[in-house]
Amino acid sequence: MNGLKELEAKQLNFYYSGKVHALKDINLPVYKNAVTALIGPSGCGKTTLLRCFNRMHDLYQGNKYGGEIIFKGGNILASEIDVIDLRSRIGMVFQKPTPFPMSIFDNIAYGLRIRGIKKKLELSQRVEKALNHAALWNEVKDKLQTNSYNLSGGQQQRLVIARALAVEPEVLLFDEPTSALDPISTGKIEELVVNLKDEVTIIIVTHNMQQAARISDWTGFMMLGDLIEFDKTDKIFTNPSQKLTEDYITGRFG
Amino acid sequence: MRVLLRKNPVDLLFLTITAIASATVLVLIAGILYVLFLKSSLAIEKFGILNFIFSTDWDPVRQIFGAATTLFGTAVTTILALFFAIPVAIGTAIFITEIAPNFMKGPIGIAIELLAAIPSIIYGMWGLFTLAPIMAEYIEPALQNTLGKVPLLGALFAGTPMGIDLFTASIILSIMIIPFTASIARDSFNLTPAIVKESAYAIGATKWEVVKNVILPYSKSGVFGGIILSLGRALGETMAVAFVLGNNHQISSSLFHAASTITVTLANEFTEADTDIYLSSLFYLALILFVMSFIALAVAKIFLLRAQKRYSA
Repeated sequence: MNGLKELEAKQLNFYYSGKVHALKDINLPVYKNAVTALIGPSGCGKTTLLRCFNRMHDLYQGNKYGGEIIFKGGNILASEIDVIDLRSRIGMVFQKPTPFPMSIFDNIAYGLRIRGIKKKLELSQRVEKALNHAALWNEVKDKLQTNSYNLSGGQQQRLVIARALAVEPEVLLFDEPTSALDPISTGKIEELVVNLKDEVTIIIVTHNMQQAARISDWTGFMMLGDLIEFDKTDKIFTNPSQKLTEDYITGRFG
Repeated sequence: MRVLLRKNPVDLLFLTITAIASATVLVLIAGILYVLFLKSSLAIEKFGILNFIFSTDWDPVRQIFGAATTLFGTAVTTILALFFAIPVAIGTAIFITEIAPNFMKGPIGIAIELLAAIPSIIYGMWGLFTLAPIMAEYIEPALQNTLGKVPLLGALFAGTPMGIDLFTASIILSIMIIPFTASIARDSFNLTPAIVKESAYAIGATKWEVVKNVILPYSKSGVFGGIILSLGRALGETMAVAFVLGNNHQISSSLFHAASTITVTLANEFTEADTDIYLSSLFYLALILFVMSFIALAVAKIFLLRAQKRYSA
């Protein structure tokens, strides 16, 4: 199942505020239509790495990248890249549900509207499609115009996933998407992530090793800004080649 | 009180002192309100409430007084000041929170707070000696030659531009309230959770779209509270306005016309109030101002509280 590479980090380095060296020479392939999990102890750089893929670090001053991330044959860290366009092709879902202060419909339609899609029919079709993808349509189809804050936490997180899917990205980045959810909602999100990989490539950062084992095809283990080991998830969790990886997954630290 | 008595004596003393301190504030408010009522009772009796508010008479010679002219001046200067100040204040707040590079954020923030620290009499002096001549010579004639030519709208800019008028007073007022609106707007914008802003950026929103669709809706109660707080401040501002408004008890459709506000009337006319009813009418104006400011502050508090509740939820 070594498919095509959707993304590839090459000699990737990252410095917060130009000083703190948070990622060190990361080489990581991300395979198309697969789920790649990033695990490691707190502060290991897994979220920092994730946020490089959609240039989220650009929002804060003084951050600096080194090396390359290859996407569709080009380096997305290059200065001439249009980050607005990049972020519509590489979407992101955060630790906590982040609905916007507007109705359910408008939340999903937001990404489409800012891209100039105004036609009512097209909007409502794409909103329905996105909600269906996120397994939320049946729960909200009768209350699309109500405020999104009225949904439960798990529903809000699926709403946010639908919002990201609506602009039809090629990659979705998940930053500990279930850390604020109860076990039942977590189960639904995990199921959703697995179902979505036929259409999008997924990278997920998680603190929960069982989650990584359950839903990912590939796993990268990170520590202190280094990618210690990257391999198929089965291999990482049954027969890791690095001592550090083994210590971590067997719970000896972290 | 039994609960209090069980505490240790130092604590009890401490409790008593702080309780007295806060009771003092309440007693003062009640006292001021009482005096305003007492002193204005003569005028209230003679002119009534609605009659006083809607009467445009202010005639010390015939001893007939009404609040309409000063209420008009207060309302027009306050509303115009907000109209000028809000875009500048919100623009500044957006610049500081979202756009300015870090090294500029501090200095601009401090400069705005310094604007609030300038005593209002200095604004008044600057208004009289610098702004008013500039208004009379350049800005007001320019407005007359452009907007003044538009039918209906032209009435707002009629008359001889003297520089001592509603328009100049509103501009001075707006400069004075910018810092209040700007700093509360800035604080409200900063309360928007970073993660929500990031998720808008993450689906490809531009900076402008994030400000418009996420930050502004998120912070609208806070910003609105700040605006009302500024409104309260503009209602009560005296010295700066007194210099450039010209204390004229007339209602005119033109902004280039001298007028008077409640505060300006109070500041100018106490020394001239030679009869009981004149004095009492001034107190009556003060009472009306007190009630208006009180309402403005209460509304502002409601909105600011609502904003806080939302973020803590």
